[in-house]
Amino acid sequence: MGYPDNAAYAVVGYMITSVVVLAYTVSLYIRIRMER
Amino acid sequence: MTKQETLSRTLRLGWALTLSALLGLVAVYVRAAYFTPIEITQGPAQKIFYVHVPSAWACLVAFAVTGILSLLYLWRRTLKLDAIAAASAEVGLAFGVVMLTTGPIWGKTVWGAWWSWDARLTSTLFLFLLFIGYMVLRGAVTDPETRARFSAVIGVLALVLVPFIYFSVYLFRTLHPEPPVLRAGAPTLPGSMLVTLLFSVFVFTVLYVGFLMLRYALSILRELREEEEAHGIS
Repeated sequence: MGYPDNAAYAVVGYMITSVVVLAYTVSLYIRIRMER
Repeated sequence: MTKQETLSRTLRLGWALTLSALLGLVAVYVRAAYFTPIEITQGPAQKIFYVHVPSAWACLVAFAVTGILSLLYLWRRTLKLDAIAAASAEVGLAFGVVMLTTGPIWGKTVWGAWWSWDARLTSTLFLFLLFIGYMVLRGAVTDPETRARFSAVIGVLALVLVPFIYFSVYLFRTLHPEPPVLRAGAPTLPGSMLVTLLFSVFVFTVLYVGFLMLRYALSILRELREEEEAHGIS
């Protein structure tokens, strides 16, 4: 019996995680730069 | 230590931790994708678990820290405690977005539904919305003392929800699985999956601390600017 073909869901989940984490990092960077 | 010294130290350490954790996140992806076995019944989609659980962990830790610091603020009335509590709440919301988007994606593959109004999911969403309210309130009140007092009350009320969310899978019949690690008895995960999960939890914890320091540094910078403006006016 093979695995369900659902790797795309994992890829989307990892992409969302990356986007949110990077966006928050960039937002902190920009806000810190603006205040300095 | 002067405010400037605290600021540069917090910024340096904050960036070091954040950038290290971002590299660690890449390592988590590689380990989860290529060095962790595929779960036999759920298939590759189960690998969302390695970001969903750590982000939920970081989110709940962040909100718990906000709650505890809010409680301390109401006791000690130190604005520094309020600033760190607010920083932790904002960082918690960022992790909350990851938790609340990766969860339904995983749920769709396992339950066949994006969402279920069960105790764990509903209470977590409620906590997330409560902290959005916390941030909105902070934006609406200009006096620092009043802002700190009002938001500390919300922070303390939200703290009550954190253990409720953890125990909700035991107290109610829910679709959400029970924790495989933080539980009575031995972990239910096979070794290689457990290592990946614990590594990811570690990386997300470091990322939380890094974000928290940077966000706190931002509030020190704002405070310094406000002081400069006040001196300029007088």
